[in-house]
Amino acid sequence: MGNDAHLTCRLCGYRHRSIRLAPGERALCARCDTMMATEGRFGPDAALVFSITGLILALPAALLPFVNAGKLGDVRVSRLFTGVGALWNNGMRTLAVLVFLCGALLPVALLGTMALLHVPAHLRGRAANIRLLPRTIRVLEHWAFPEVQVLAVLVALMKLGDLVDLAVGPGFWCYCAMAVCLVLAQRSFDFELCNPAPDTCTTDAAP
Amino acid sequence: MSLRFSPVRFKSNSTAAALAVAAAVMLVPANLLPVLSTETSGYNRSDTIFSGTVELWRQGLWVIAAIVFAASICIPAVKLAGLGWLLLSVQRGGLRDSRRLTRTFAVLDFVGRWSMLDIFLAAFLTGLVQFGEISTVQARSGIVAFAAAVVLTVLATHAFDPRALWPAPAPVSPNPCQT
Repeated sequence: MGNDAHLTCRLCGYRHRSIRLAPGERALCARCDTMMATEGRFGPDAALVFSITGLILALPAALLPFVNAGKLGDVRVSRLFTGVGALWNNGMRTLAVLVFLCGALLPVALLGTMALLHVPAHLRGRAANIRLLPRTIRVLEHWAFPEVQVLAVLVALMKLGDLVDLAVGPGFWCYCAMAVCLVLAQRSFDFELCNPAPDTCTTDAAP
Repeated sequence: MSLRFSPVRFKSNSTAAALAVAAAVMLVPANLLPVLSTETSGYNRSDTIFSGTVELWRQGLWVIAAIVFAASICIPAVKLAGLGWLLLSVQRGGLRDSRRLTRTFAVLDFVGRWSMLDIFLAAFLTGLVQFGEISTVQARSGIVAFAAAVVLTVLATHAFDPRALWPAPAPVSPNPCQT
């Protein structure tokens, strides 16, 4: 292991020597106990697999019905972007853009970026030579909220339960699966790809 | 006479403080203005975040009321209070319990995203409940103020530099703890 390979805690800035982790093992900061790196239980290609699966699921999630609602014979089909369109038509365009970004575009962009970062490593045995991607992932992680949207839809369904006839559509289940894939991809993400410079750095680096 | 400006650094505690104050200001209209209006068979009702939560509680949807209350009222308030406490701790100096403060920051960073719940909820209901004269839900201006407050709190958390919670410059440790 090279002396210049370090794990740096993202919260307190404490620098540690890089170490080899076993599957399922985590590296905690010796000063503040923050988790700095983890070795996924699903193998080295898990992040790529979950990212691509999430990207595939994003398409039916966007196109298929989320929820069918009926009242007095009138049936309305809601899709992923129905709420965004309603807010846009209502004149709340900034809010519509925010919902579109945090609920749809940025989760897909995050999945795509993680896949892009892992594909060259998978094919060529070497990390992507694009330094912008890890930084992009860190920014996107803070603004992609698909799990919050899932909870919001569940809350809305319970709230509307007595008022309208509801039927959950396949689009919502695909969206839930995409959100799960995103979480699993993030948990399996190989942070070594963020610091590809030292060849001797074995399994992990700073998140 | 020429004015010289130093470049603005996003990752600074003064930026975090400014964003937190802006978020606190936006929380006032967010909680006073209606966020949703419901029209059912000619009966019109507008709800603020708090009155909507109370209405859910009255309908017997206690779990939902608790979730909405936690996400829309507690989390933004706790996050701003926590961030204020961290900023004051850094400002005062002489940090005694840096580890606890760092954990507090990590928790604030994690819970912040759940404040988006009410915004997604308003968007979903506005898109779904459009049955003409029978039943209609519309988002109101309060939700825009609330969204601004949420975005500002997230930005404030990102701008805060938790390394300032530690007094000494970071040396190199032997090894991280493996669990």
